[in-house]
This record gives sequence, structure tokens and C-alpha cells, in this order.
Amino acid sequence: MSLPPFEVLRPWNLDAAVATLGRFGLDVKPVAGGTDLIPSMNQGLFAPKILLDLKGLRDLRFIRFDPERGLTVGAVTTISALTDSPVIARHFPVLHAAARNVASPLLRNMGTVGGNLCLDTRCLYYNQSAFWRQSLGGCIKNEGTICHVAPASDKCWAAFSGDVAPALLVLGASVRLASPRGWREVALADFYANDGLVHINKTHDEIVTSVHVPAASAGWSGAYRKLRIRHSIDYPLAGVAVAMQRNRDGTCVQARVALTAVNPAPKLVKGAKALAGKRYDQALVEEVAADATRTGKPLRTSASTMEYRRHMVRVFVRRALQEVWLNSTWTRPGDN
Amino acid sequence: MSSFPQPSVIGARTPMVDSVDKVTGAGKYADDLTLPGMLVGKILHSPHAHARIRSIDTSAAEALTGVKAVVTGRETPVKYGILPVGHDETIFAVDKVRYIGDNVAGVAATSEAIAEEALRLIRVDYETLPAHFDPEQSMRAEDYLIHEGRPHNIEREYHHHFGNVEEGFEAADYIREDRFDCAEVTHAALEPHSTLAKFDPDGKLTVWSSTQVPYYLMKTLSSTLQMAEENVRVIKPLIGGGFGGKSEVIPLELAAAVLARKAGGPVKVTYTREEVFYAHRGRPRQIVELKTGVTRQGELTAVEVRVIQDGGAYCGYGVVTILYSGQLLNAMYDIPNVKFDGYRVLTNKPACGAMRGHGTVNTRFAFEQQLNRIAAVLGIDPVEIRRRNFLKPPCRTVNDLRVLSYGYPECIERVCDRSGWKHKYGRLPYGKGIGIAGSHYVSGAANPIIRSMMPHTTVNLTIDSDGAVTIFSGAAEIGQGSDTMQVQIVAAELGLAMEQVKIIAADTGRTPVDLGSYSSRVTFMAGNAALAAAREGKRRILAAAAEKLACSPDNLALEKGGVYYRADCRLALSFQDAVRLAVGRDGTLQAAGTYTTPPDSQGGKFKGAGVGPSPAYSYSAQVAEVTVDSESGQVSVDRIIAAHDCGKALNPLAVEGQVQGSVWMGLGQAVQEEMIWQNGRLMNPGLLEYRSPSTLESPPIETILVESNDPEGPFGAKEAGEGSLAATIPAVTHAIYDAVGVWIDTLPVTPEKVLKALEEKRRSCELTSL
Amino acid sequence: MQKEKVRLHVNGRVYELEIDPNRLLLEVLRQDLGLTGTKRGCDDSSCGACTVLVDGEPQMSCLMLAVSYQEPEITTIEGVADGCELDALQRGFCVEGGAQCGYCTPGMILTAKYLLARNPDPSDQEINEALSGNLCRCTGYIQILASVRKAIELLRQEQPQEVER
Repeated sequence: MSLPPFEVLRPWNLDAAVATLGRFGLDVKPVAGGTDLIPSMNQGLFAPKILLDLKGLRDLRFIRFDPERGLTVGAVTTISALTDSPVIARHFPVLHAAARNVASPLLRNMGTVGGNLCLDTRCLYYNQSAFWRQSLGGCIKNEGTICHVAPASDKCWAAFSGDVAPALLVLGASVRLASPRGWREVALADFYANDGLVHINKTHDEIVTSVHVPAASAGWSGAYRKLRIRHSIDYPLAGVAVAMQRNRDGTCVQARVALTAVNPAPKLVKGAKALAGKRYDQALVEEVAADATRTGKPLRTSASTMEYRRHMVRVFVRRALQEVWLNSTWTRPGDN
Repeated sequence: MSSFPQPSVIGARTPMVDSVDKVTGAGKYADDLTLPGMLVGKILHSPHAHARIRSIDTSAAEALTGVKAVVTGRETPVKYGILPVGHDETIFAVDKVRYIGDNVAGVAATSEAIAEEALRLIRVDYETLPAHFDPEQSMRAEDYLIHEGRPHNIEREYHHHFGNVEEGFEAADYIREDRFDCAEVTHAALEPHSTLAKFDPDGKLTVWSSTQVPYYLMKTLSSTLQMAEENVRVIKPLIGGGFGGKSEVIPLELAAAVLARKAGGPVKVTYTREEVFYAHRGRPRQIVELKTGVTRQGELTAVEVRVIQDGGAYCGYGVVTILYSGQLLNAMYDIPNVKFDGYRVLTNKPACGAMRGHGTVNTRFAFEQQLNRIAAVLGIDPVEIRRRNFLKPPCRTVNDLRVLSYGYPECIERVCDRSGWKHKYGRLPYGKGIGIAGSHYVSGAANPIIRSMMPHTTVNLTIDSDGAVTIFSGAAEIGQGSDTMQVQIVAAELGLAMEQVKIIAADTGRTPVDLGSYSSRVTFMAGNAALAAAREGKRRILAAAAEKLACSPDNLALEKGGVYYRADCRLALSFQDAVRLAVGRDGTLQAAGTYTTPPDSQGGKFKGAGVGPSPAYSYSAQVAEVTVDSESGQVSVDRIIAAHDCGKALNPLAVEGQVQGSVWMGLGQAVQEEMIWQNGRLMNPGLLEYRSPSTLESPPIETILVESNDPEGPFGAKEAGEGSLAATIPAVTHAIYDAVGVWIDTLPVTPEKVLKALEEKRRSCELTSL
Repeated sequence: MQKEKVRLHVNGRVYELEIDPNRLLLEVLRQDLGLTGTKRGCDDSSCGACTVLVDGEPQMSCLMLAVSYQEPEITTIEGVADGCELDALQRGFCVEGGAQCGYCTPGMILTAKYLLARNPDPSDQEINEALSGNLCRCTGYIQILASVRKAIELLRQEQPQEVER
């Protein structure tokens, strides 16, 4: 297999990168780790005339934490840098757990935070070779008119399959974008749209430059659960991120739950709000888990059945909530 | 008698002779080879599962700059197939395509991008036909059959009846019937197939290819290109894993050659990973309906089995696969009455073929699972029920398989001891379980694919006057250690260090005939031939030495790099001096050894009797321990203990590696691997979605080597590379039963299936408590 | 598409060549530099056979555009041995059977090399985690684990012993 022809531009600073995006418009596609884009280009899913290689943008490769201002991570920071960061492990355990679950060590060395947030949506009918897709006449996301997982629908249901996004969602993160028009900051929850075709609210000339987690989210307990068949390499078949701020007496101050790989966008589970101010209660946990199964709408976009993935969303929400609510980092041995 | 102990190279943990090449990156695999002026070959595949080709227009492709040849089926009409009874393939489809991925045309061009562009320019006019995907439906089909002369799309059916099952079932106190359904799996060797073909100006063809069977490839190139065999030379470079996937002729091997001929330059074709999945030849989906009768004590009285294999669109090894599935029900246990109805069914999907444990794996899963279920019902320990049905060798089974060495009982006892079976089975907490099962495999087929009077293998030995020993062998090293094994045997017999022995192997222009690396035949057959050649070389060296020393050769021994007097272990001559004497006496010092299976190992006379007989069978017993999460249905395999009767471990390092690899591959099939089909379209044609296990799902595997010392094996050795695969699957499903009380009869055991079974169990418990 | 002049730093040597920008480092290493020890196993970046070290860190050359990797030092399996002196991992893989067919071996060794550089005394779990992006189809990983263990042992033996004071 050979890649389609293209030029590679390697800007050394953000201004040059943004200017390039403005100048070449839809002909250019940004790339950093390449872990998502290059295999897709191999399959003929994209054929941009220009690749804008962002790896050289050293300014976008950082992890900064300040107890007052919170956490800021540059978009070109690798996933490995997240897993290696003691600051993230200590203050943002859900993000650390999610990062550790991304793909494989090799892919984490290459894949970036910005890339993982902007990951294309995935589907068994889409992430196939040109030969394969054409033998089926294409699909709504590419070269066709119907969605094979929901033939009655005029929408694309390819699933967002990033692991990092749900963790950042439950931490209340926002992303910063640069474009020829200047800067813009948007809450991560508003960055995504539940449409497999256009799942990111970002114009083609915008670059995600960093992601910010507010200081208020530091120190929240967190857990990430990922459904997959192989314990490495695989994209999630379903993923659940949970973060909770708790009092010393175990009362939940506030909690957030987010899902990935079961919708075209990563999504917060609204029902988790009900946990605020509550002591641990199994019935409450079950209510949130039930709400999660209403939030997550897995279709046949990946291996495993829809029913099982939905079931596991419930199981994971239950288990992750129990973990963060009951296991106290400041509990003395012998307590509980 | 010699006072020297058994040569130390035999039985020593020996690194592979080619390991330095592999760890430094210096070793060359087919795709690593280049030739000046080499062109890139690409194949156009069918986008339809079943269609008639009305016409093909290649003119635009041919006109593209850089395109040097375009070939279609019309130019390559000669049919071929690995089995003489199954010549149903052509290099490119002539009139019909039969699966998505079938081969339609080939292109050779100066670059990959141009070749790919040329494929896009080929216009094929198809008339699509109704297709057959499900084997049970396909075998009822009347119309739009896949091949001519195959009514109801049945490639082949066999009906065997040994003893009298009616009487056997009458004598039974308990009869059990179950249906098993095992999903299709594939080899997924890490190296995609690759072939480089070159014609010399004199018209002779040389092909370097990722093949387990250089000899059969040479013959097929000869027949399909209509060239004399002596003008075709096949060289096997390093192979990045085979497991059966390279054990028959794969379309690209022929395509590269026809393209090279037409283009007038060397052509290399390397498959994409997706093309590897379409070339396939993996383990077919198999439906097993099994009925077993036992006495109250658990003694087997009769077994009746109906097997349907979803073979895909071409025969390939299919006739052998279906026969193995019936014939090798036997030779594990003493079964007095056996009935087998086997159907190899054609469907519009890539052809299945031989995969590690060829034909035996899914039937073995079914049988061992049913035996464990029977033991559970009768309240007999699953180990004990096996003990009560052991064979009593030497013996012949009811279907005329000769069994001499039989280490199965020892395998069973050893895994029980190691695992603490008695204290664990039925006694672990809910969610934890332990299971046991056995399996076996042939040490080479007693009958060759193409029946002939030729030996199965020949090994030549040249000993130069400087003492350098070179083995010439046709056997195909595919990572299993066949080169190392032959060097070990020859070094041991000649009393040399391994470094003094070199091997040139698997080059049909330079090495004698060996049938290839399949059916675990190499150690037994090429090993015996290498031993025979070394013995002949030794005889001649000692004869020359004896002449010089004026004594009888019987008084001399070839050991430790020299000729010694047996009587007092005194050095008489150095190896080199002795060799010089022999060369001086005879002119050259060459020796040949062959191996042919003994007639009494070749099986019976009934239709299909040729498949199953082997000079020796390996045996395996395994215990698996699992943890089952009853809320998620997820199964994690915590530990596997595998005892394998390999006759004699010539190289324990290699044997352990083979056993571990087999167990692990069985585990993949048991819990996570599956080719997923939708209307003849493979949904997971890549290593991202066809999930062979990573390190993190791979449990510790403890190996126990049992040495039953086969009377006919080289130094007593039997096969080690396949026999352990099948037992893993039923051992794991048995452990799942022990953990949570459900039997899963379909593979792979996905969490969904476990949950469903638990749910059904809960419901039936509720019903019975009403 | 215009060819680009590039300078690649591979195994301590500098290569100057002109290549199309759409060439993967995997292809350039294999086809242009003759470094065929780097293997292609899949086409969806799942197998790890094409692993090379980029400034010491294992990455997959099937994902790397060669024109974008001109600054870092690239190490392929051919650059691991010191002349004829095999690296401890290479010896470990020979002695303990870590290489059956050998196709995943270059990637395994390079990935393990990074692990041992960062953590000279890893647990079995840490070794398995580190190698979990490199697929092997032959060994079931048992002898690969043993090979890495052997390398650790060899490295320990070769370390200059601390003299007691």
C-alpha cells in the first residue's frame, strides 16, 4: 500500500502553522503523532494535498500545573508524557488512568493529547481499505449514502473512540484553539457534537493548542474503565470515566461521569449530578448507572454486541463509582 | 559397547542455528530481497462474493506509463490445488469469482503506486450471482452452485463406521448428545506472504517465497506455467511464521511468476495484511454434533459424530481437514465403536485449509468437553474417566491407526500433580475454576499428499576433506527449528560440535526432496533421514579408519571430534584425519539418508483411510485455571500447565517454545479470536480487529515434557509443534464450568456468551424451584 | 509531488537522500537504506514489527513520514550490536528462544531496550506491559519474557562490580 501524494509542511512555530491553515484551507490537514491519520490515509480515507506536521511545535509540548491556575497540557504532548507525569498521577488520577489505557506503549509514545481529542470517529464499515469499502458501495461517512449500522438513519453513527476525552470531560476541561482569527477557548463538553460525520466543533483552519483543567478539579478521585478484548492496542468498545470530589467523611461534593466509544461524541452522564451532597448509597449508584445506559447508545460500529457494550457501561459506572466513592486515599489502614 | 554417554547435543537446550541472523536483523525474509530492475506486482481482487466475469478490459492499465505486464485468467487457465483430488483453482479467475477477495488480474509495474493505479484502471464487467455463506444452507442449495461437479456445494463427504455403534449405544448406561459450533480462525503469522520471481535469459525460473512447502510450490509452478520441473527452482528464505498458512500454494506465488514471465523482469508480490486474510487457508468454522455412550463406570462404548466444515470457495486441503476431524477422534482413547459423517461444504468465502492442529482441534474440543460433561453427570472425576479409557499400546485403533508410544497417561498424571488437581477441582471459590483436557497429533502423515513410491524425505551429507560437514535438506525451517534439529542430529551422530555442521535447506535446485513443513512431519521424517545420512557417513569414516588402524570398525567410535578405540577410549585419529582417509579411499565422502513410513503405519484400506495414519502420535494433557467475572462475563486465564509427550526432547528449549506457542494459539481461539463475516464480507481483515493476544492476556504457561521414547522416532522423538493446541480450549471451557457452573459449547467464549449462559442457568434454576 | 532532500540520522550514520514526502520511514529504511531488519507486519499500526528507536524511544516507523524525522537519531535493529558484539538483549533472545520465526524480534528487542534503559530491574508485569504493543504469533511470549530476563541477568553480570571498601 502506498500513501497518496502530498507535501509536508513543518512549521517551527504556531503562527506559521496557523497561517498555513489559513492559506491552504481544506487542502491541508494537521498531523502530529500520525497514529490515527496515517493508517486512515493508507486506507484512502483522506488524501490532503498538504500535511501540516505539528510535531516541531515545541511550544505545544508541555504539562504545567499550578494549584491556583490548574493544569494546562500542550496539544503536542504525547500520551506517554501524561502517563509519566507524577503531577497528573497525583492530582488527576482519572486522566492518568485514561492515558495509561490508550492503545499500546508504542502508540502512546507517538499519539498526542490534541490528536486523541480530535480522533476521527470510528466504525467497522468505515475504517476499512478502499477495496473493502467500495465492495460495499461506501457509507454515509465516506463515498456513500447510507449508514450500515443504522440504515434508516440519515446520520452517521460512527463512534468517538478516544480514551482521554471522557477523563478530561469529567474534570471540566476546556480546549484552546488558534486560528488566523485569533484565539478561542471552549468547554470540552461543547467541543464535541453527536454526529459521526462532524463530531468536533472546529473549523478547518483551527488548531487545538492546549487543554486546560481548572484548579478546582485537582485532587478529585477518579477512575477509568475500558471495555476491550485485548488489554493493549485496542480502541475502547466502551469507556467510562468517573471523577468525584469528596469530603473527608465520604460525602460526595460533586461527581461527574462520562462515556466514550458508545456515541459519536464523548458524553457526560447527566444523572451523576444527583450524587452531589450524598453519602454513599448503592441505590444512587444504580440510578447513575441506569442513566448512563440511556446516555450511551452503542450501535454495531465495533466488535462485541450492542447489548453487551450497554451492559458493560452499567457495570463500569457502578464499579468506577464504587471505587472512587469507597476507596479513600486518606483513609487510614484499618478504617472502613 | 561404547563407554561414551549419549551425545550431549541431544537433549541439550540449544539456541537456534539461525538465531543470530534473527536478533541482528541480518536474516532475509522474502520481502527483504531485491533484484536489479525488480518490478512490483499487485493483484486485483473481486469485490463480489459470487459473480460471473463477462469481460475484462485491461487496455487502460496496459497503457499506463510504468506498467510492464497485465495478466488475467484467460492466460492462466491451468487448474491446480494442493490435493490431487482438488484441482479447482486457477491463478486468476477464468469465468467466475467465488469470494470477496478472489483473484481477478495481476499487474507488474515500476512502482507500487503505479501498480495500484493500474489496478484501478482495469474494468471488469461482472454479473453477480446469488451466493452461499452459511454451510448448513449451502449444502441444501440446488442452484448457482459454486463449482461444477459439486452437487449441493458439498466438496466431499465421508461416512465411516467402525465397529457397531448401535450395539455400542445399547451397551451404554448414559448417552449424551451435544452440538458444538467453533468459529473460523486464521494463522495471522506476523510476516505477510511475499514472493519474488525471476526468469533467467535461458528461460529458467527462480522463485523465492514465504512457503512451508517449496517442493509442492515447485511442482505447481511447473504445472501451471507449463514448464519442466527441472527448470523451476524454489528457494525458501527465512519465514516469518507459517502455522499452516503457507503450507499450500498461495495465489501470489504463481502470480509473481506469470507476471515476471510476461514483464520480462523480476517481480515481487507482497500481500497487504488484508490480502493475507483473503488468502487465508485457516481453520474452518466447524459444527460438530456429537453423541457419546458410556457405561456407568465411564467406559466409552460408542461415539457418533457429524461434522460440517465451512470450507470456503475452494478445496485447498479441505478433504484432508474433514478426514482428520473424523479419523483423529481415535488414537487418544479406546473407543470400540465409532461412526463419522463428515461434510466439507463450499461457501462463497476465502478457502480454509490447514492450521496448526489441522482438522483435529474443533472435534477434539467437542469430544473433551463432552467427556467432561459426562464425568460431571456421572459424578466421576474427569481425570479418572480418562484413565478408564486409556489405550493399551502397542495397539491398532478401530479405524486402523497404529499406536506404539503413548505418553498420555503420564501427561495426565503429571499435570494433575503439578496443578494440585485433587485439592482444587470442584473446591475453588465461585468465580475460580480449574479444568482438564487432552489432545494429540500426528508426527507426519504416513501417506504423502501425492501418492508415490518416493521416500517422504531425503537428506544428503557432504563431508569435505577439511572436515567441514554440510547437510543438504529440503525441509523447510519456518521458525520451528527444523534446521537446528537436523544439525543437532548430524553433529550428535558424527561426534562433532554443532558449529562444525552447516546446513543448506529448502532450495529445490540444490537440496533433495522433502515434502515440506506440515502435519508436524519434519522432526520425525527429516530427523530420521538426517540420522540415516549421518550413520552412513559415520560408517564410511570408520571403515576407512579401521582399514588404516588395521582393526574392525566395530572397535572404533566416532565421538568428541575424533575416532576413538572403544576398548579404552583412547584417541586413534582426529575427525579430520579420518575424513581424509575416507575421501582418499572413496574419492568423495557423501552420504544420503531417506525416510519412508513403515507399511504397517499407513492405515487401512477404506475410502479416506489415507488421512490420519502416522508413524507416531504426540500426546498432551493440560490443566487450565481461570477467573470468571460473573457480572461482566469476562474470563481471564490465570495459568496453564501443559504436559506434552514429544517422545524425546531433542532440544527442550525448542520443544517448550513449540508447546507454549501451541497452547497460546489455542487460548486465542478459545477466548478471543474469530473471523467475523457479514454476507461473505470479512469484517475484521486486519490485526487491529482480528485480535491475537497481546502479552497482557497471555498467562504463564508451564510446560512439562514427557518422554515416551518412540521406537521409530529419531533418538525417540515425536512431534511437538501442534499436538498441544487442541487441549487448551476444552481445558479452559472446563475451568469456566468449574468456576461458574456453565458449559459454553460455541467458540470463542466471549463474555456475552458467558453472561447468556449464566442468565439461562439462573432462569432454569428459578423454574425448577417453582 | 516534489522530492525532498533529507538528512536522516540512522544507527550513527548520516544518510542524505532525495525522497517523496509521502514515503514512510519504514519504506525508506527497507528500500532505500537496505535496513530490512525493520519489518512490516500489519497495515493498521497494530503489530509493532516496524518498531525503531527515536532518540532512544520505541516508535512505529509505519506511522512516520521520513521527511519529518530528520532531527532525531534513529536506531534500527541493525544498530543495536556493537560490531560483532551482540547486545545483552540479542544474546538473551538467542539463548532463551525468544526468536522463533524472528519476525517480531527486532521490534521486541528495541522495545525491551528502552524498557531496560529506563528500568534496569523490571518486574515480569512491567516487562509484559512494556512489550504489550508488540505482537508475537509464535512464542506465547513466555520465552520472550525469559529472554528479557536473561538479558537483565547478563547485564548485571557485566556491570563492574563495586569494590568493597
